Amino acid sequence: MSARPRHWIQSLLDSAPAALFAVVLIVFGLWSDRFLTVANLTQILNQSAATAIVATGMTFVLLTAGVDLSVGAVMFVGAGLAGKMALAGQPLALCLCVMAGVGLLIGALNALLITRLKLVAFIATLATLYIGRGTGRWITQTRAINLPDAFLALGSARWLGVPLPLWIAGLVILSAHLVLSNTPFGRQIYALGNNPEAARKAGLRTHQLLAAVYVICGFCAGLGGILALAQLGAVSPKFGELYEFDAITAAVLGGTSLFGGRGRVFPGTVLGAVLLKSIFNGLVIVQADPYLYPLITSGIVFLAVLLDSARQWIRAGS
Amino acid sequence: MTTHPSNAARLTKDIVGSEYFVLFLCLAVFLAFAPFTPGFASRGNVANVLVACLPLLVLATGQTLVLITAGIDLSVTAVIGLGSVVGSLVMGGDAGWLRGSPLATPMAVAAMLGTGALVGCLNGLCIAWLRMPAFMVTLTSMMFCSGLAVWLARQAVHAESIYNLPPAFLALGHPGGLGALLVALAVLVAHLLLTRTLVGRWFYAVGHNPRASLVSGVPVAGVIVGAYVLSGLFASMASILLTARLETGSPNHGKTLLLDVIGAAVIGGTSLFGGKGRVLWSVYGVLFLTLLGNGLNLVNVSDFLITIIKGGVILIAALLDVWRSRIVRGS
Repeated sequence: MSARPRHWIQSLLDSAPAALFAVVLIVFGLWSDRFLTVANLTQILNQSAATAIVATGMTFVLLTAGVDLSVGAVMFVGAGLAGKMALAGQPLALCLCVMAGVGLLIGALNALLITRLKLVAFIATLATLYIGRGTGRWITQTRAINLPDAFLALGSARWLGVPLPLWIAGLVILSAHLVLSNTPFGRQIYALGNNPEAARKAGLRTHQLLAAVYVICGFCAGLGGILALAQLGAVSPKFGELYEFDAITAAVLGGTSLFGGRGRVFPGTVLGAVLLKSIFNGLVIVQADPYLYPLITSGIVFLAVLLDSARQWIRAGS
Repeated sequence: MTTHPSNAARLTKDIVGSEYFVLFLCLAVFLAFAPFTPGFASRGNVANVLVACLPLLVLATGQTLVLITAGIDLSVTAVIGLGSVVGSLVMGGDAGWLRGSPLATPMAVAAMLGTGALVGCLNGLCIAWLRMPAFMVTLTSMMFCSGLAVWLARQAVHAESIYNLPPAFLALGHPGGLGALLVALAVLVAHLLLTRTLVGRWFYAVGHNPRASLVSGVPVAGVIVGAYVLSGLFASMASILLTARLETGSPNHGKTLLLDVIGAAVIGGTSLFGGKGRVLWSVYGVLFLTLLGNGLNLVNVSDFLITIIKGGVILIAALLDVWRSRIVRGS
């Protein structure tokens, strides 16, 4: 008798992120007629591209019940190196490869620390966060670097009428989604996150899986750094700071669990990233007091986490 | 066992497995810096280090209590900023509510402690009763509290810094003053709470296995809420110390301390998975981080190199912990 309403509540809670997103769109749309225009919505997607890519990598890590606090530092080190190289006259393509390479490298370092040396992910990536930010400040000598126009042109370039950052983000998200939902590798990541002991006993190569996840996350952080840099056009000493929290928040807003085994890149994490940026964009458009932004954003994030916990109670109760 | 370990090997094991291992590391850092840095071993500098580490010490004590229950509190540095603004708005500045009144300082201190306890209580209730993940709850309360602190300061004085605090309050920040004494006492009380009381044993039990604790009659929700309230209270003590020492109320106090707090607790040997940790260990961890930072500062190492070294030290401490538990288990 109680099964039916519970089922109903369950499906309502399952679509909570999408519902929250719809509410945000409707509220800001009613508030200002400049919000729901094609130009502004494209702008929101454009602003979300970097966060969405970094959060996609973070989703892989969160699925294994891990965490990667070093993504912001990865972005900073890569941007600092690329900035220095660009000023020294190196070609743009090489700079971009270096940024992605830094991501792969720090990701591999995290993977080594976590799988070989058996460190807790939180501590290992906290340490690489410190080391990365220190190295980045050393590379940039704690000064802002203004980049050549080629970087900014990359951010505003369009192909078939769609901005280039959206093409890149779309490609990354699509491949991540396909890998997670349609390959043995993806299913093994879910298995590992759900029950590491059972996954190991079932013969999965848990070490290699874990290592791969951190390398993917580092690589995504490098790519996200490229997009963020192309939109800002400068490397400030605070570039990428606290980005790890943005990425985790986007993933959790999209329904990814911090305890592993549950979550999706599309629509979940992508929706979370776009939701975060829509709130920000909407607040700017309605000219809210800028000092209220963090209060409102944290309120909405809190609501999303609360709804997610409610979903867990129902599941545990049934 | 057919082979007898040599004396040297036994000594290594004794030192490595000892509870005072991190304290030995502190001594090593001290001895390493003393010959090369004039003034490092001077009485003035040692006193300086001891006073400078007090805010980090209270924060790490509160964090240890939370970590033992298998939680984490990311909101502590935001509580420092919020407490600082609230306290300053009560007692001082040009718009202070009680400015000039003899009640200003006690009321401000009460308001700051109340702010910390309230934030901690809300964190604890969300985590214990609504069963929300501690990481996300305290992350959102960090965002909210630091935003609120800036907003409050802007609303009240149209700036982020509040000056002209009463002298009675500033006296709390004097080295060796009442504030330092009370803070040291609070850390001692937390240590005794964990090691000597039933409540202390509850903390460890909840961190080890919440379900088993619940079945055996431990008030699990109460312990978790208590841990976060205490963490909030300790954070507001750090806020009082920092606000009094810097003679300014500001939402930006302590903003850079968060990673040091968790780092210090972990270097001391407290586990992020709960059930393992001691206040005394965190004291060693704090002492170690502060000595290292102070020493590197005195030899004129650049700021970015200090950051890199701190990261390396956290890494080495974590590796040593893995290595230690292997050695101790292997015995």
